[in-house]
Amino acid sequence: MEGKDGKEENMAAWLLGIENLKIQPIVLPPLGPHDVKVGIKALGICGSDVHHFKTMRCANFIVKKPMVLGHECAGVIEEVGSEVKSLKVGDRVALEAGISCRQCNLCKEGRYNLCPQMKFFGSPPTNGALANKVVHPAYLCFKLPENVSLEEGAMCEPLSVGVHACRRANVSPDTNILIIGAGPIGLITLLAARAFGAPRIVIVDVDDCRLSIAKSLGADKTVIASTNIEDIGIEVEQVQQAMGTGIDVSFDCVGLNKTMSTALNATRSGGKVCLIGLAQTQTTVPLTPAAAREVDVIGIFRYRNTWPLCIEMLRTGKIDLKPLITHRFGFSQKELEEAFETSAHGGNCIKVMFNL
Amino acid sequence: MGKGGKSHGGAGEGKDGQEENMAAWLLGINNLKIQPFKLPPLGPHDVRVRMKAVGICGSDVHYLKKMRCADFVVKEPMVIGHECAGVIEDVGSEVKSLVPGDRVALEPGISCWRCNLCKEGRYNLCPEMKFFATPPVHGSLANQVVHPADLCFKLPDNVSLEEGAMCEPLSVGVHACRRADIGPETNVLVMGAGPIGLVSMLAARAFGAPRIVIVDVDDQRLSVAKELGANETVKVSTNIQDVAEEVAQIQKAMGGGVDVSFDCAGFNKTMSTALSATRPGGKVCLVGMGHSEMTIPLTPAAAREVDVVGIFRYKNTWPLCIEFLRSGKIDVKPLITHRFGFSQREVEEAFETSARGGNAIKVMFNL
Repeated sequence: MEGKDGKEENMAAWLLGIENLKIQPIVLPPLGPHDVKVGIKALGICGSDVHHFKTMRCANFIVKKPMVLGHECAGVIEEVGSEVKSLKVGDRVALEAGISCRQCNLCKEGRYNLCPQMKFFGSPPTNGALANKVVHPAYLCFKLPENVSLEEGAMCEPLSVGVHACRRANVSPDTNILIIGAGPIGLITLLAARAFGAPRIVIVDVDDCRLSIAKSLGADKTVIASTNIEDIGIEVEQVQQAMGTGIDVSFDCVGLNKTMSTALNATRSGGKVCLIGLAQTQTTVPLTPAAAREVDVIGIFRYRNTWPLCIEMLRTGKIDLKPLITHRFGFSQKELEEAFETSAHGGNCIKVMFNL
Repeated sequence: MGKGGKSHGGAGEGKDGQEENMAAWLLGINNLKIQPFKLPPLGPHDVRVRMKAVGICGSDVHYLKKMRCADFVVKEPMVIGHECAGVIEDVGSEVKSLVPGDRVALEPGISCWRCNLCKEGRYNLCPEMKFFATPPVHGSLANQVVHPADLCFKLPDNVSLEEGAMCEPLSVGVHACRRADIGPETNVLVMGAGPIGLVSMLAARAFGAPRIVIVDVDDQRLSVAKELGANETVKVSTNIQDVAEEVAQIQKAMGGGVDVSFDCAGFNKTMSTALSATRPGGKVCLVGMGHSEMTIPLTPAAAREVDVVGIFRYKNTWPLCIEFLRSGKIDVKPLITHRFGFSQREVEEAFETSARGGNAIKVMFNL
């Protein structure tokens, strides 16, 4: 396989089977006129990557043949296609992971995250970006300011989920927020909500350690919850008390019956529950009493048009994601396996980052 | 405390001092009695209305059968009924907008006008709401009621009192269409062809919906829906295993994507069907209130950004409903299938007819 110098082989982390990841070559496609070739420098592991690693599937996406993992990434431009004017070799960029068709009604309306033909890094059958280099459309590569690192660039991807959720839920200086789950997505949602002006944020988790991280990242109050569905009544009272006033929007960053039920019951009449975490398929929830109080349920699927805003918030320091990067690994077979195990383990591990 | 007195005690004083005001009191399960109903004094911003047309709602029937509806429990005798229209008999000292003889449709719920929800305009969610026939507030199936003038809406000459009473259920459909943003681009699925499904369908058409598919388990209700303008009807079962097949049938009947689904039944099966049938980025409006806990594929829907919009009664809908009826853009008259007078025997028969369902869509009292 020919890299630019004719010698170097492009290597990637291939998922070959359950818990079977191997660094092997990947042939890059030819560089189209609107494409760029990016040397990947920073790549974060997402819960969905871990899920693919552990089960070879994620919801309706099934890994049927070997696939490269990874989609939260940033790197340096190595080559640009003939029509690319906005980027040049050496530019540091963050990559938006999904290529939509740009022709269907959803794309044309701007809701391209819902495009049925979406080709998304690391969602089968599309190869991901945990590789030395990738080829990607230039319009999905966003230049990073000097003061934003490549690791922060890679963090734009999970941050985008929080930003998209805050937009869909209309978070503003009037919005008191409950966040259920203090994992990477809950924490990012906390930071995004604050950046959108939310005055008061209460965050809930079963894990003390994650709650103290949330507190250090600016949560006004934390509440420890159980995994026991009988405790919903008590916990709803506790979160309402911690909030002090009505809960305008609840972000469920977990997506289990218990967390959804808590969110539906705790949110004030006329408020919104935003479902970000997508743990279960069939859910049993008290939907009717919530609907009878006009508590709406808003779905979140990835993001759209979020990179410019994310980058701006990182540039100004309105959001600081660096504390979320808790573990770092290099790009070798041994470190690859260790990184995934660390991420799967959870606990005090928030974001695992590869430096290539 | 609602606007109304106890079931026993002296005669209420009508304007002529002679007439006793009678009302249909819910005394217990399946126990309705016409008995005197003492009116409160007329406040400066109130009007006294002689009831002429009162429709029976599913919730009225539910109270009759169970003495409760969701969290609302009937703990003491209560006058039933809330879908109503009548003629102004007397106006309070500050009332300028109405005069005796005016024909009006009544919006049932008196909110507090002081809380944040009221001040934001979402007064239907007011925690202090006093709503006709939601315990402990007395309803309006009576000879006369006293009500705030600002909740009484004058009917044009070409809109009958029965149509005036129909503004109440129609308001639910109108409110749902607003919350769901129905317009000329919205292809609509309606689950359930009962009274609420049918008013939702009529409202959706009035809001410009180009294509409406309606589903029900009952052939007869589907044929009524077809007559009222549904583009396609799909017969469905009560068997939850049939969801996938029915989703396919519905999508085929629609031809294009389902943009908005109105679940006017509110069961696991109907909600599951609605969530699965609606296109990515669409909305499901939960109008009907069946079970409290629902087991539904909510996550896959959320992962397609299908939002769930809740509906509770309505707000600021009477003027628009009346205009729809005045212009003929909506015709609710075909929904009134049964009529009864206001006597003990007829009250009992009317409620039985309404409870029976089937070909009974809206049962109307003429007083």
